[in-house]
Amino acid sequence: MSLKIKNLSVSLGKISILRDINLIIKSGEIHVLMGPNGSGKSTLAQALIGYKNYKLNNENYELKIDGKNINKLQTDERAREGLFLAFQNPVSVTGVSVADLLRSACQYNDKFKKFSIWEFNKQILKKAQILGIPQDFLKRDVNESFSGGEKKKLEMLQALMLKPKYAIFDEVDTGLDMDALKKIAESIIYLKNQGTGILLITHYSLLLKLVKPKFVHILLKGRIIKSDGYKLAMEVEKKGYANF
Amino acid sequence: MQISDYTLGFRKPEKYVYKSKKGLSKKIVEEISWFKNEPEWMKKFRLQALEIFHRQPLPNYENELSKVNFDDLYYYIKPLDKKAASWEDLPSEIRDTYDRIGIPEAEKKFLGGINAQYESEVVYKSIKEQISKKGVIFLDMDSALQEYPDLVKSYLGTIVNPNDNKFAALNSAVWSGGSFIYVPKGVKVELPLQAYFRINAPKMGQFERTLIIVEEGSFVHYVEGCTAPVYTSSSLHAAVVEIFVKKGARVRYTTVQNWSKNVYNLVTKRMHIDEEGIGEWVDGNLGSKLTMKYPSVYLAGRKAHGEILSLAYAENGQHQDNGARAIHFASETSSKITSKSVSKGGRTTYRGLVRILPDANKSKTKTTCNALMIGKNSRSDTYPAIDIRVSDVQAEHEATVSKIGEEQLFYLASRGIERNQAETLIVNGFIEPIVKELPFEYAVELNRLIQLKMEKAVG
Repeated sequence: MSLKIKNLSVSLGKISILRDINLIIKSGEIHVLMGPNGSGKSTLAQALIGYKNYKLNNENYELKIDGKNINKLQTDERAREGLFLAFQNPVSVTGVSVADLLRSACQYNDKFKKFSIWEFNKQILKKAQILGIPQDFLKRDVNESFSGGEKKKLEMLQALMLKPKYAIFDEVDTGLDMDALKKIAESIIYLKNQGTGILLITHYSLLLKLVKPKFVHILLKGRIIKSDGYKLAMEVEKKGYANF
Repeated sequence: MQISDYTLGFRKPEKYVYKSKKGLSKKIVEEISWFKNEPEWMKKFRLQALEIFHRQPLPNYENELSKVNFDDLYYYIKPLDKKAASWEDLPSEIRDTYDRIGIPEAEKKFLGGINAQYESEVVYKSIKEQISKKGVIFLDMDSALQEYPDLVKSYLGTIVNPNDNKFAALNSAVWSGGSFIYVPKGVKVELPLQAYFRINAPKMGQFERTLIIVEEGSFVHYVEGCTAPVYTSSSLHAAVVEIFVKKGARVRYTTVQNWSKNVYNLVTKRMHIDEEGIGEWVDGNLGSKLTMKYPSVYLAGRKAHGEILSLAYAENGQHQDNGARAIHFASETSSKITSKSVSKGGRTTYRGLVRILPDANKSKTKTTCNALMIGKNSRSDTYPAIDIRVSDVQAEHEATVSKIGEEQLFYLASRGIERNQAETLIVNGFIEPIVKELPFEYAVELNRLIQLKMEKAVG
């Protein structure tokens, strides 16, 4: 059971952004992708979920969820196959409440099919509590005048509800206070224990100290130039990316 | 076949007692008046209006009305020889029609009284006892003319004069049916009063006339909704609504129209609001080929307040030309206009007029227009006119046009939500501020209609 990325090369217009990315993330594993600004981390995240404006260059490219090739699927189809992306800067959707979004997103989820609306709402509240999200948050429009921290929490709330097979968290720890960061870390560990394979994109070692990932990859100029265990993250924290 | 086509596109066989000849002439107008056994002054009113109709030019914004052939329409059809007293007395055929648009359920839960119009004549009305005990009169206009001729005479045509526009003149000449409501001083009608209108014969015009008079300190909410079967030839609906809101009274008039896509829907709606009175129009337009409707508030007394909330949805082949008019005559009056339109392959227009006259110092007005466009070939225009003739006023106008953003659709797609559904979510969210003002059942029906419409591909 794994998310398998093979020979992924991406360009936007004429500019090449990612080159020959190969990565295998197994169920229940946490992988971390680190790299300086502009190295292509967010591009990788968005390419995996199927952002249309990216051009995929390599003919031998493969993207598989548990052996099923999903590289020809549209974004919504990939999501229904169990892939999830927590956006670095999620857009606001005026008029659509958080509860509406969650209800629509979860409708395909077998787990919720037998739930009544009442039971479903109870589930939302339970997960919201884990993240310290107040109840009235659910009535607000998605990301509309949300603080940075609230946006991150909403991304995480969706992940907790959907329990995806594989989840990519793009800088889900940016701009959080210590309490919020701990809750995000707990949520990541919870998902991991539920069997979700996770790719964390981050700049900061604080989150890494809390979740203790086993796999760390360094992305530089569109290539994964080094992969190793947790100690690699510590190395980056001490010395930066200059030595790579 | 789309579900919406099935539920809204059915048509019942015609069954009439009387049908006028096609076309419009002095003779036909006299015949209508004779048939209805009207007083002499009404016959004169009709004939004068007919002359004005012939004189008046078409409101020629875009030449879209040139296809209406006034000589090819029926101006009066009487479906039954007597009015039914209760639901069970209605012919099963008509009852069946109402069942399909869900009137009985609506009545059970929400209605204070049904005043349903089947073609040109009101065939069914049931007024709950408590409102008539309070002295509230809720009748079809034809009965009101017979039973309260003086009341009708002193108000009818005083705020919408036949001279006002060609279609007001046409309506004045050939009107039939519509509702009459009189609420005496100090009476609050708790439940909304409702009426349903339907066009059920090809090439038939419908010209109902509604008159609502609400005395000092009283309140009424009138709700009018209409769905219509689909026909091949064009139909004309030209209604006139006149409302008088007396001192400290409040009236809300809610319309949801879903005429079939061959109907020209040209309605003149106006409210005259006295001192400290409140008048509100809530207007939802989903159907018709062309709708031209600009609900107006005449703020005649100090501190009168008028509010117009409108919603338009235009698909391929539809033009919703809607708007609002607020005329401030007196000081400290206020008006608020909120217009939301969605074009999905169709065309929406906002045409507004706010006029603040010299005596209306310390008045306030605010207009908000939001247009949302989906897909290609959609069009939206805004023509706001603000005419202020006194310095001490506060006027705001805000207009936005937006497209459903690819970024938002991408975000929703990343949660597994299909494009159609994502668009529906956004549209429902966009119109929510208007929908929440509707009575519950209408809100549910409207959301469902929008959903059905959104499921269709952009044509």
